This record gives sequence, structure tokens and C-alpha cells, in this order.
Amino acid sequence: MNDNPKRLIQLTVNGEIQTVPVESHWTLSKVLRNDCGHTGTKEACDEGACGACTVLIDGLAVPACMILAVEQEGKDIETIEGLSVDGKLHPIQEAWLEEYGSQCGFCSPGMIMTTKYLLSKNPNPTDDEIKEAIGGNLCICSNYEHIINAVRSAAQKMSKEQTHV
Amino acid sequence: MFKTKAVGQSVRQKGGAPRVTGEAKYYADVLLPGMLQTRILRSPYPAANIISIDTAEAEAMPGVKLVMTYKNFPKAFRNTLYYVGDLVAAVVATDATLAEEALELIKVEYEKKKFVLNIEDAIEKDSPQVFEGVDNCHEWEFHYYMSDRDPETKLFKTKTHGEYNGFGDIEKGFAEADVIVEQKGLKYAYCKSPAMEPRGCSAHYNGSKLNMYTHSQGLHDEKLCLAQALGINASILNYISPYTGSSFGGKNAFPLDRNIASHYLMIASLATLELHKPVHCSYSREEEMLCGWSRGSIGDVKVGFKKDGTLTTMDFFHWQECGAGGDKYPAKNAVLATGAVLYSRNVEHQRSKIHYVHTNRFCCNGWQGYGVPEGTYAVETTMDIAAEQMGIDPVEIRKMNCMRAGDVDSGWDPLTYKSAYISSSGIRDCLDAGAEHVDWKNKWQHPREKTGRIRSGLGVAIFAMAAGRPGPGNSSEAIVKIFPDGTASLVSAIADIGQGQHTVQTQIVADVLGLPYEKIGLVSHDTDSTPFATLVAGSCGTWIQGWATYGAAMDAKRQVLELAAAKLDVPAEELTLDENGIHAVGDKDKNISFSDAFGTRGHYGGIHEVIGYYVHNSPDGTGHKDGKKDEIYIPKEKGAQFVTLDVDTETGIISNVHAIMAQNVGKALNPKIVAGQMLGARHGLENATLGNDCIVDKRNGWLMTPNWIDYRHSTALDSDVTPLVIEKPGDPSHPLGATACGEGAACPTLASFSNALFNAIGVRILETPFTPERILTALGKIQDKRKKK
Repeated sequence: MNDNPKRLIQLTVNGEIQTVPVESHWTLSKVLRNDCGHTGTKEACDEGACGACTVLIDGLAVPACMILAVEQEGKDIETIEGLSVDGKLHPIQEAWLEEYGSQCGFCSPGMIMTTKYLLSKNPNPTDDEIKEAIGGNLCICSNYEHIINAVRSAAQKMSKEQTHV
Repeated sequence: MFKTKAVGQSVRQKGGAPRVTGEAKYYADVLLPGMLQTRILRSPYPAANIISIDTAEAEAMPGVKLVMTYKNFPKAFRNTLYYVGDLVAAVVATDATLAEEALELIKVEYEKKKFVLNIEDAIEKDSPQVFEGVDNCHEWEFHYYMSDRDPETKLFKTKTHGEYNGFGDIEKGFAEADVIVEQKGLKYAYCKSPAMEPRGCSAHYNGSKLNMYTHSQGLHDEKLCLAQALGINASILNYISPYTGSSFGGKNAFPLDRNIASHYLMIASLATLELHKPVHCSYSREEEMLCGWSRGSIGDVKVGFKKDGTLTTMDFFHWQECGAGGDKYPAKNAVLATGAVLYSRNVEHQRSKIHYVHTNRFCCNGWQGYGVPEGTYAVETTMDIAAEQMGIDPVEIRKMNCMRAGDVDSGWDPLTYKSAYISSSGIRDCLDAGAEHVDWKNKWQHPREKTGRIRSGLGVAIFAMAAGRPGPGNSSEAIVKIFPDGTASLVSAIADIGQGQHTVQTQIVADVLGLPYEKIGLVSHDTDSTPFATLVAGSCGTWIQGWATYGAAMDAKRQVLELAAAKLDVPAEELTLDENGIHAVGDKDKNISFSDAFGTRGHYGGIHEVIGYYVHNSPDGTGHKDGKKDEIYIPKEKGAQFVTLDVDTETGIISNVHAIMAQNVGKALNPKIVAGQMLGARHGLENATLGNDCIVDKRNGWLMTPNWIDYRHSTALDSDVTPLVIEKPGDPSHPLGATACGEGAACPTLASFSNALFNAIGVRILETPFTPERILTALGKIQDKRKKK
């Protein structure tokens, strides 16, 4: 059997603390998928080149395939599964559906998490700012125009929500 | 006949919400309890034999459950290796790290052989043979000469196996031509068929059933092929594929051909049949980069014109690389760009000679465009050269000569038909729409008028792509169920690989039944629960499956109307359906609810669902002209693309790339989906600009770009695409007047890009990708390193 030593760590994922045994070289994306049940985080390149595995760590968009799970204790990890609450979609997800932001959908979780980060820092981005922000997320379906529309629409929805609060 | 309540609307994607919440389960997201992991040992040599292989140490490693080689699993492994990355062995173990460590314990002795790594060398007679005893360069086996043209119908009545595809008399054509334009050596680099989700599967044989979780473009066909390759009964295999993380044709599995990159299916299946445990076998990005290549061609084109620009004669020689085997069929699709289809309007003499060529590079899986981009690159670049030489506007020369509705397709695929009527075109409308969008009349300038360091270019190209074909072996089936609560379900295995088939097909059901789109459910995820559906390739889903879905919905509707007719005492043909139930046409007071029409039901009986079923054997319905058996319509994807770009003549760097994709789809069943498909033009743009090329180390055949950093795909920053959806009604070959939209976007891009680049710098570059080095060399600013040697 595999005798690599495992260590129990505590990860805070979408506000819930999960205790998982991990090997020191396991990436966060692998642990999120295999041990925490968050398969919404996709793995497509395993080398930080495509953004499919993007999650937010303490609010910052990070490719989860490029960081080690053992180093994430005490940090606030947010995955795509944390966006909708009680079945109610987040405005970014709504915008994605309206604007046909997903074709095959494999890039969508990462792209949406990157969008969440962008809009948290810049609630009203220009098209160039959107392109730059999602420049690290590949969509092989090449659906970028629809994705940019979705980000723009999400920004409007979120700013409206803000006004109503 | 159609209410078009759902059709024509950009309704939300069926299965869209799970995609944006992370709930969608792609094959790698299905984590079966106790699942074993697989790692593959791959060939370090481009051509070798395995002399000996010792797996004892790997097998003895704790946690290793199975080591697979050609000795114990000859159905999946060979002792001859044809490319770097070819299969040597596989380890199945309790975890992936273990499996990887065990690979290192396998001792292999290889006998290295001579190899060939590029298409030019492979064509040479004395080149090392990829497959022993067989020349690398093959003439297409299905060349057919068409003759005996009916003067009235214009259709060819006779096809004769020959040395080339075509018709007329090529020598006579050139002898009578006023102007002859010839361009040789138009080379499209060997490119990787991309997909976001890497290949793979999880297989579980539970003692009675083999459940196969994987991505798929055509579940039923893949299932049967896999059962046959494994030598098991098809009845025990269930193929499960609820979501596919894009495919573009390149991930299409065909386990019966050992050179097609669907080895994961065989490895995982054989292992689970042996071990009776779930086995996962998926490829890393690096492994993914070693399989499923495609494109790669050399084309020579010679065209004869009358003085006024009428294209009468075309000669086309095409060599397509298909690496160390795999799919050889894309080669024949290059013919779609010739006078056989795209320029069928005025061409009287056509010769297309097709070859496919093996090298010791990575195997070919046809992908988006399936040979048409290569043919279009060669033909449409030559057409631009012709326009330049004859002083004719590049848009006008195409409008004069491009195919129109009712022109004759002289059999780009003579295996299934001889010749047929092109059911619709609209290319001239697409040219007009695109020209207006880019303000062609005012913006197009001859390159000699351009000055300054940064030069802008504007180019155009047109295309025709297969969109399903009529003939034996082209069919699809559907079931539509209507329930007593006034909802309905489509039961269809049609794959949604990202292009929207699930959405569009359920829109068709909604439309036929007059029900809201939201009330139409879908059963599609596996072969056990669905009837056969066509392979989604050639973007034929809307066309072939669309008929089946439509027919099944009509069948279900008919039955419900008959149930209501008996209760209302009104003839069924005077009734119709809507959200509220069934009512008389023109008299809504004569009505009955679905529930009442279905009648009494309970635990022990009654009608719980009305089931409609239809098999669409293409062609049927309105697929024949005036109902005549021998006169069939064949649809196409078709359109025009314009590219604008800027070139820095000092650095060779191209910027501000913008493609305007205009495509006539007849009827856009879902406009946003259609527009989304056109955005796929970017695949061509990245083939043109980002250095997409199969760069291997000449010394050892190793891929130098086995990742997405060195082999770059387009990001949002690299280019812009504007889709122009043209809906010219009247395609008779589809119940809703729709044709297809998907692969087309990839077809014209290299040519329109090449033409825009020439328009910017006034020099023609014949070889893709159009790198800064090639641009500066063409401009005479640097010397070609290869020529200095």
C-alpha cells in the first residue's frame, strides 16, 4: 500500500470546516475534488495555464492546481459550490445563464470564480478590464464574447442589488 | 404549422444551471467507492519494437492490482510502437501516486527503428515507413469520377472508381481558359484538436453490467464499437455520458481502430472486467497533448477563368498528414472547398486528387471542420491570388462563382451519394453582410497603397462545410413522452458537447406540442434509457436528429389528439394542443385537460404517458426535390468570413485581430447558441497566429509543446469575433428550415487571415502559423535560417 504519510488538516470551504487526511504533495484542487466533495472545481491542465480550477482564497482568485492543500489551513476557501444559497443562484450565475456564458461548461466554474473576484475589486469594469481579468481563464469553446456579456450583465445585477440593500 | 413559441428564441440552456453551479457531473466527477487509478507507460521513441518487458517488480508492489502489457492484454497494447507517447503498459493501483511509482519499476528493452517526422519527408519514396511494408503516402481509396450528367436535372447519373474525384475534362478546361492561376505548396501546420476536458473514463463491471462513464459525441455507436473491441455482449454495456467538456470531433472515440486515441476505454474496461472494481483512466494534459492531432496538409491549386472572372476549371492536389495512423477521412473533406461544392456554380471541369500521409507523429482524430479548413485554406488563398492577378474585387469574384441554392454537389462523399442539390446557400448574402459590417468599399485598399510601420489588412474567404448527409447509415431516433400533467420529455441520446443540441432539440418538442419550453424534460444520459442517436459530427445534430425529434413529437401529439377526439367527439385533425390541454381549432370552449383526455389511471393501470417514436432515415420528409426519389437535397454549413488585423512590419507582430463571421443558418432555432458557435472562428485564428504547430525534436520525436503554455490557445485578450447570424428562409431539407452551425466557423479562418495578412504587407506567406519570424522573412527583414544552411 501507499506508505506516504498523511496528515490531518482542517480546511474551511464555503464556510464549513472539513477535516481531511492529505499527503504533503496533494494540490488543493485534488483535495477539493476527491476529499471534500467539491467536483465543481475542474482540473484541465494541472499547471496553472487554464484557470478551470480557480477558487477564491481569502477573497483572491487562485488556480487551485498550483497550491498545496497543506498550506491552506486557516484560510477561507470559496468554490463554485458556495455561490448559490439554498438553490438560489448568484447574480453571476444568473447572468451566465441569460447570456449563454457556458457552452460545454467545463471552464464555467473557474471563469465564474474569476468574475466574482473581479467584481469584488472592480464593480463596474470596462470591457478591457474584463478581458484582462479573465485573460488567465481559457474557454476552448471560444465563447469569450458571451462570457464578457455575462460579466457585464453580472456587474449590473450586482450593482442593482447593492442599491436595493 | 409551427407556433414558433420556443423555436427562434434564445431560451436558457438545457442543463445550464448545473454547469454554472458545479453540480454538473462530467465523467471525472463521478467518484465511485473503491475506485482504482490507472497510469500509462508511454513510448519514449517515435518508432520501436518492444524486445522484452519485465513487469514482475511493478506487480509485486503493494497496492498494485494489475499491470497491463501486450502480453496479457493484446487487445489494448502492441509490441510495435509508432510515435512518442504510444502505449507500452499500464498500471492499475489503489492510488494514482502508487501507479505512477510502479510505472518506473517496469523494465522495457526497445529496438529503435528509423522514423519520419514531417509530411514532406514522409511523401518521399525512400522515407522510413511508419507501417512496415506500406508506403506512407496513400491515394484516397474512394476517388470517383462523375459523369453522364442529366441535361435537365444537372445531376450526375454515373460514378466510376478512378484516380481522382471530379468531372468534366481538366485538360480541355485549362486549354479553353483565358486566365490560369496556380499556387503550389500551401501548407497548413499539423495542429492539435483541442478540448477543455482531457480524455478519460471510469468503468465499473459489477458482475452483471459494465457501466462506462465517459465523454461522448455519439453514445450508442461508441458503445457498440467498444463492446465489439472488448468481445463482450453489447447487452451488458451501458454507456453513460451526461456532460462532455467539449470535444470538437477530436475526442470522438472509436476503440475498433487502435490508432484512434480512445485507449482509455479499452484499458479501463479490460481492467474492470478482470478485477470487478471501478477503474478510472484519464489523461493528464501532457498525455492529452500526445493524442488527437489533426489538420496538417499541403495543397496545390490551379484555377482556370474566363476573362470576366467566371471560374470554369479547378485542379486540386491535397496531401493530409494523419500522423501514425488514426482518422484518414478528413482528407476527403478538403474537396468541399473545390468546384465539387463551394465553387460548383460555374465549374465545368474539376479534378481533386486526395492523399493522406503517415508520419511518426501523434495520431490524427478529425476535428472541427474535418478537413475543410485545410482545403479552404488552399483554395481560398488561391482565389485571392486570382482576384489580385485579374484586378477583380475579392468579394466580387466570390459572389460570381460561389455555390447557390439548387446547384449540384457532385459528391464530396461519393461513398454515400453520387450527386445532390445544395439545399441552400446564402453565401452572397453573407458576403454582403460582412462587407457592409467592415465597410469593405471604403476600407479595402490595395497593399501597394499602404505605407508606414503598422499596416492594416482586410481579407475575406468563404466556405462550405458538410452538415449531415443523406444516404444509408445516416439516421437518428427519438422518443417523446407526454404526461397527464401537460408536461413532456424528450428521450434522446443526442450528445451535447457544448454546441446546444439538448436545448435546441427540446425547443423543437416544445414547438411541435405548443407547450412552454420549461415544461419539456430530457432523458439523455445513457444508452440503457435512450434509443440510438446519430454521432454529433459534421454539426449534423440539428439536421439529422432534428427530424427524428420533430417526428417523435408529432407522433406523440397525434396520439394525444386521438385520445381527446374520442372524449370530445371532435375529429382529431380538428384539435390542437397548448399549455392548458387539448381544444378544437378555432373554438377553445371545446376543450379537455391532458389529465381527462388520458382517462382513469391509478396504481394498477391506465395511461401514464403517451409515447411517440420516430426513426429518421435520411433523407426523408422533404429531403427529396419534388418528392423524386433520385433527386435529393443535401444541406451545408456555409458563409463568409472577414478578418481585419494590424501588422508591425518591424517586429512581425500581429495585433488587433478581428474576425467577422457571417453564416446563413436558414432558421436560427436559438440565436444565441448559433452566435456562440460562430465564435469558434477563434480556433482558426489561433492556428494562424499563436504558433500552433506540431513542433517535435528532430532527434527523437519528442513533442516540444506538450502543454497549454507552449502550445497556446486563444484567451479573451488575443482576438475579437463578431458573429453575423443570417437567416435566409427556404431550406427545404429541414422541417424548420434550419441547416447547421458549428464546425463552419473553423473553415474559412486560415484563408481569410492569410488574405488579410497579404492585404497588409503585400507579400504572400504560404505556410502557417504566420509567426513574426515568417513575416519578417517574407518582408526581407531577416534571412530564412533554413535557407542559409
